Amino acid sequence: MSFNALIRKLLNKPDNSRSVAKKRLQFALVYDKLEVKDDMLEDLQKDLVEVISRYFEIDRESLSLDIQRCEGSSALILNTPIVAAKHRKNNHEARAGA
Amino acid sequence: MDGKVIVVTSGKGGVGKTTVTASIGAALAIQGKRVAVVDMDIGLRNLDVVMGLENRIVFNVVDVVQKKCKLKQAAIKDRKIDNLFLIPASQSDDKSIIKPENMVWLCNKLRREYDFALLDCPAGIEQGFKNAIEAADEALVVCTPEVSSVRDADRVIGLLYAHSITPKLIVNRIVPKLVEKGDMLSHVDVVDVLSIDLVGLVEMDDAVVVSSNTGNPIVQQKDSKAGKAFNRIAMRLDGHPDLPVEDPMAHDSFWKKIGKKLGRKKQE
Repeated sequence: MSFNALIRKLLNKPDNSRSVAKKRLQFALVYDKLEVKDDMLEDLQKDLVEVISRYFEIDRESLSLDIQRCEGSSALILNTPIVAAKHRKNNHEARAGA
Repeated sequence: MDGKVIVVTSGKGGVGKTTVTASIGAALAIQGKRVAVVDMDIGLRNLDVVMGLENRIVFNVVDVVQKKCKLKQAAIKDRKIDNLFLIPASQSDDKSIIKPENMVWLCNKLRREYDFALLDCPAGIEQGFKNAIEAADEALVVCTPEVSSVRDADRVIGLLYAHSITPKLIVNRIVPKLVEKGDMLSHVDVVDVLSIDLVGLVEMDDAVVVSSNTGNPIVQQKDSKAGKAFNRIAMRLDGHPDLPVEDPMAHDSFWKKIGKKLGRKKQE
């Protein structure tokens, strides 16, 4: 930290334009890299439903998949109500049948 | 000869690609290497005027690719520096006239003829950019300490990685005073955001404007900070990769500045 930055911090002054620029830049780059095409999300949802259905009975209609962006990071959020759990045995049968 | 083809690129226009290409080319030639600088900005040539060779153009890079002339015929010898050659762009064609496969052929020829070939890439990430990076061995990404420039640099770096080239970064036009005041991104900030190796740090320097006005190489002006920086970049590219990048901010410590200010007051 430079002397100026230290003084600034001690006086509790607002951020200078350099740190504002850096923050904006970091956000912009995160956003740029997360440009996900809609059909990719759809494909992902199909695949996820298939995998989850092996273990749980789910309500396919009310399943939602979303990308949420918050400070500095982003999250893939899947929300699905579970109707019932499948038994492991059934699960193996289901796989063999597939 | 088994030379290296280095593409100089940036994504955003107006950050100093052409000056960087001309200056590093000149510095390498002064260090005794045989150097070609190639203007890949087909339709908008500029490298010739920056180098002061605009009156000597007969053939251009499109002629070479279309085999209307030999590489040697299109290469214009610099006025002052031995071993430095310019291969100009054509001014009348479109960027799509050169195909990626032409570039593979051209770069092989350049490697045979020169120690270093620097390709001045056009701004943008379209065909002209794709051509320029197609057969390059290395890449230099130029950016200025501005949000828009760094963002574009990041995009270009991603495209270069996808093309199996690991680029190195040149931060151009840094103003140490502004950085210290907290009003400009520092090279540390830029490297932190882009996370690639820094190969050069060039200060904002009025002498660059003068040298491009006159078409004289900045690296031959001994008192120019930018000229010195370009010379050091050339050394790093040519066998001295560990030469430290000088931090212009480091010269003026707090106490030194006080000393300077006191000194100035005394003079007044």
